[in-house]
Amino acid sequence: MGPLKPGGLGRGVSSGLQWLFAAVSLALAGSVLWAALAEYRAEWRVTQRRFRQVEGHLTGAANSGADERERPGLQQIWLPDIDRVDRCTSCHLGTGDPALKDAPAPFRPHPGRWLETHRPDRFGCTSCHGGQGEATTFRGAAHRQGANGAEPVASRELMEARCGTCHKERSPRGAPWLVRGRALVADRNCAACHELPGFSPVADVRAPRLDGLARKVSPAWLRAWLKGPRAYLPRSRMGDFRLSDSDVEALSSFLTGQPQPIALDTADWSKADAERGGEVFRRSRCVTCHEVNGRGGTLGPALTHVGAKTSRDWLYSWIRDPHRFQPKTLMPRFRLTDDEARDLAAYLSSEFGDSPKDFHASDAPPAASLFAEGRRVYEKRGCYSCHDLEGFPRLARIGPKLATVGDRLLEPAPLVARGLAATLPNWIYAKVRAPDTVLDGARMPTFGFSETEGASLAVALLSLRAREMPAARTTQDPVRPPYEPQGEFGALVRRYRCLTCHSIQGTGGTLSTVALDRIGSQLRREHIEAFIQKPYGIRVSLQERMPHLNVAPEEARVLAGHLSTVMVDDALEAEVPSDAATVARGRQLFERSGCVACHIAGEKGGYVGPELNGSAARLKPGWTVAWLMTPQKWKPGTLEPDCGLSRADAEALAAYVLSLPARKAKGAGR
Amino acid sequence: MNRVLRSVFRTGWPATKQQRLQAMLSSLVLHVHPTRVRVHVLRPSYTLGLGLVSFFLFASLTATGLALMLYYVPHPQAAYRSMKDLEYAVTFGMFLRNSHRWAAHGMVAVVFLHLCRVFFTGSYKPPREFNWVIGVGLLLLTLALSFTGYLLPWDQLAFWAITVGTSIVAYFPLLGPQLRYLLLGGHEIGQAALLRFYVLHCVVLPLAMALLVALHLWRVRKDGGLSAPPHASQRRVTAWPHLVFRELGVLVLVLVAVNVAALLFDAPLEEIADLARTPNPAKAPWYFLGLQELVHYGAIFGGVAVPTALVIALLLLPYLDTDTRGVGVWFARERRTANALFAAVALALVVVTVIGTFFRGPNWAWVVPWAR
Amino acid sequence: MTLDAQPEPAPDPALERRRFVAKLGAAGFVAGAAGLLAALLRSVVPEVLYEPARRFPVGRPADFAPGSVTFVSERRLFVFNTPGGFYAVSAVCTHLGCNVNHEEGRGFACPCHGSTFEEDGRVRKGPAAWPLPRFAISLSRRGELVVDTRRTVGPEFRLKA
Repeated sequence: MGPLKPGGLGRGVSSGLQWLFAAVSLALAGSVLWAALAEYRAEWRVTQRRFRQVEGHLTGAANSGADERERPGLQQIWLPDIDRVDRCTSCHLGTGDPALKDAPAPFRPHPGRWLETHRPDRFGCTSCHGGQGEATTFRGAAHRQGANGAEPVASRELMEARCGTCHKERSPRGAPWLVRGRALVADRNCAACHELPGFSPVADVRAPRLDGLARKVSPAWLRAWLKGPRAYLPRSRMGDFRLSDSDVEALSSFLTGQPQPIALDTADWSKADAERGGEVFRRSRCVTCHEVNGRGGTLGPALTHVGAKTSRDWLYSWIRDPHRFQPKTLMPRFRLTDDEARDLAAYLSSEFGDSPKDFHASDAPPAASLFAEGRRVYEKRGCYSCHDLEGFPRLARIGPKLATVGDRLLEPAPLVARGLAATLPNWIYAKVRAPDTVLDGARMPTFGFSETEGASLAVALLSLRAREMPAARTTQDPVRPPYEPQGEFGALVRRYRCLTCHSIQGTGGTLSTVALDRIGSQLRREHIEAFIQKPYGIRVSLQERMPHLNVAPEEARVLAGHLSTVMVDDALEAEVPSDAATVARGRQLFERSGCVACHIAGEKGGYVGPELNGSAARLKPGWTVAWLMTPQKWKPGTLEPDCGLSRADAEALAAYVLSLPARKAKGAGR
Repeated sequence: MNRVLRSVFRTGWPATKQQRLQAMLSSLVLHVHPTRVRVHVLRPSYTLGLGLVSFFLFASLTATGLALMLYYVPHPQAAYRSMKDLEYAVTFGMFLRNSHRWAAHGMVAVVFLHLCRVFFTGSYKPPREFNWVIGVGLLLLTLALSFTGYLLPWDQLAFWAITVGTSIVAYFPLLGPQLRYLLLGGHEIGQAALLRFYVLHCVVLPLAMALLVALHLWRVRKDGGLSAPPHASQRRVTAWPHLVFRELGVLVLVLVAVNVAALLFDAPLEEIADLARTPNPAKAPWYFLGLQELVHYGAIFGGVAVPTALVIALLLLPYLDTDTRGVGVWFARERRTANALFAAVALALVVVTVIGTFFRGPNWAWVVPWAR
Repeated sequence: MTLDAQPEPAPDPALERRRFVAKLGAAGFVAGAAGLLAALLRSVVPEVLYEPARRFPVGRPADFAPGSVTFVSERRLFVFNTPGGFYAVSAVCTHLGCNVNHEEGRGFACPCHGSTFEEDGRVRKGPAAWPLPRFAISLSRRGELVVDTRRTVGPEFRLKA
């Protein structure tokens, strides 16, 4: 048995070999040292060491958050329900600590108050920001460029697309691009051709029926319109279908060859008085909905060139009863006499009879032989998805489904050809603005979206992803059954199309900011009745005015009666003491609060809010109190300040306001 | 203390000749060596140590593989995530992964070179025929290990490479489709295939490999040690230290090479496997690219006929070539034809592999790599 | 002790050099091999855990009625709202890990081997040898009760909230 001391394995081995062995084993030791060093210098370790230094410089109160800051080592937020692993906080170490606001990046705290509503331990980081959360290096996290197939960290605008993957409501707060995009999708009726979750096409259709088109428009107009709608109507919702001249011809033939089910009314045009028609036009406030010469509303088509589009007879028939021609139109049936209607039609025809510039085409009737071809074009381009026509189904979903468009496979070639970076947001942006440039033979029309609109649409569409968020994480607009008024009231609402501008129970339009759900508790019945018959501007600064529908007194009585007895909120029905002491106290409060800055009370005041003289005839006391206490609750975004009034104070103030008599000299309204 | 040590290590550190001889016999690990070896065997230029290198590579792969197994999850989504964990969230994770991958590629290449060495020195001739056959088995096991491991990252590269590879299996006559079905545990590459490949890669094939390696080394001893030309010196030296020292040196060299490769080059990780998108081109692992090139000319030809013919030729070789001249010498004159034939086939394989690697682009069209 | 009986020859510089080189080689090998083994072992120490976070909110103070003892099952702890304040006690028996049950006014009892504990976690009767840990509990900036299971506090600790 020999000694156990190693005498060198190499004894007996040649010296050269010894040297060689020493060299390679030193190389081994060196390579291992290299590996250890590389690990010591791993990006995240270096960053954390830097952070400890930065932290070390914080003193006193600023360092109070030390306990809440994480211990050293890799940080991981694991969200198994959405299969996300985020290690961003391994380097972004100061996200929750305001004391670090002057620290160098990446240690700065997260801006805004987002982390209060979107706690990191529940949402991680990449759900909102994108990037590759598993990584612990700058490149790996896809801060600028994608990595391992993960999208790069999103810009502020593109982040809103990610907001949309959970926030399914139409208008989530804090995401303006997304809201704009979703509004555009609804407004342009994308869902007519593309299946889109959250958007239904039928309810939003606002394109006219095409039955009886031959009686309505001239062949010249039709040809010119089909070739380019925006030449006639700059704000047309109908896109430019890039139709060839032969397609235009065929379509014209098809459309004018349709049966004409409704006969037009005729009037004695020799008796028409265009000037009186102008008065009717102004009195009825048609510009609330119809733009003329660049001013007015956009609910209806602009009337600037209406005389060149259609005949007097048609205008006369339409004004007398729009619902006969277009059952779904938003336009009310005004209560006008035949003479008034005739005069109005004459006025419109003569005053607005010029064709727009560059809007000319041949007026020859199209060849009937092209009817079949026209039908083919009509079907191929999916016109009937927006325009109802007898004999055609409701929908032509000729566009691809967009439910997962946010994960669509990208064809980079068209983008590269246009000098754009080959990303999906760019592709969608290019597609919605100029469809035929990214897809050969695209059937989608060119809608003329501006850059902002195109980008907003891209953001909204990018929120439609293949992998659904679990239901526990999504929010949506509450689903409310549509409100359909019944009986006499319902018939009147339908005749006068109240719901075009007003909403009840979520159904209706938003042109009027006054929802009618509790109007009976807000306004006095007499006022409602009088207002319906003679609407006037409550606030001087308001642009839109309710049109003068010329509602008959009995009709106004029915409407006001229903609104006052049914559209009420019991919680708002309350009385207010009207004794002198309360009124006096209210007056003090009124003066102290500076209400005259916005409201006229007595002889003077501001023009921002409604005049308060004589409001007892208009407002109900319970409502006045409720409004004064929490105006933002009733109308989010209103300029009325919330002064934090107690109930007693609000009652006193209301008592004072309602005690103000109406001014004698000025009548209400114009 | 001395007593404790001596109960473990029966002989002391070998200093005397007696001890040196005994060291081989009294150690489990070392007794695979003879007590004495011929000096001819020690010459690096004879064997180039290739068999040893492949053995050490296998040992390294086992060690790194075991560590990787603690993090890897053999289920489609989780597999890819665990690869990212290894890259970003495990200390020395990327080092382990790189070591494993480059050692694996190295082993395939070295095993092939070892085969060439054994052929060119005629070391398959009697009495070593069966050991050659075991060696061919080891070659196939090495390829299988590399192939099964290739799928495990579950990225686009892995998924489509294995799609191509397993599709070639289906071309086998009679049993091809059933073989593929068994291999994949289904009709597509999915959860079942990944699990099967994982079990094959981590348990079945390594066990088989260990078994065959043991047999292979045992046969070397039984066949009278490494081959030598008849005129070689009969002088012997003790295995300790001469052989063992050199082997240690080779081990250190292998470790250095693997480490440096691991530190310099990162193993790739593309996007997660996506059934809907085939990369263009979709290439098999490099050692099968020659096959894929041949498959391009004809599926049965390239996928079935050629590989089967090659394997059968290799297996039958020692039983067909009984001429015992030219053993123990590189490129012996007496074996000119045999060497030329083998070299031609080997070269052809290399050429088609090179073509498949560098000269084939999208849709397997011919491309010239330097004309970009 | 070698088998040679001859006296030590004079030191030979060549031999010394060879011995040094041999030692160098051995040292390098040992260092490299040990380093590799160390790296391998280091790699199996997890850096990240696929487990729920160890510091988490349990609710708002208003969610725990005054005088109540609430078992937060998914976190295995009890939250006490006493007149003196809040405190949190682990529900994991310190003996072998079963969930202890709370008995009104009488502390905790473990159903597995019969250990009992006082209301504040101290051991009343074994076989458990250590008290139930009282986890650090604090009020976050947003008004939530936050429990940190990485830190424990004394038996007198109460959080006023």
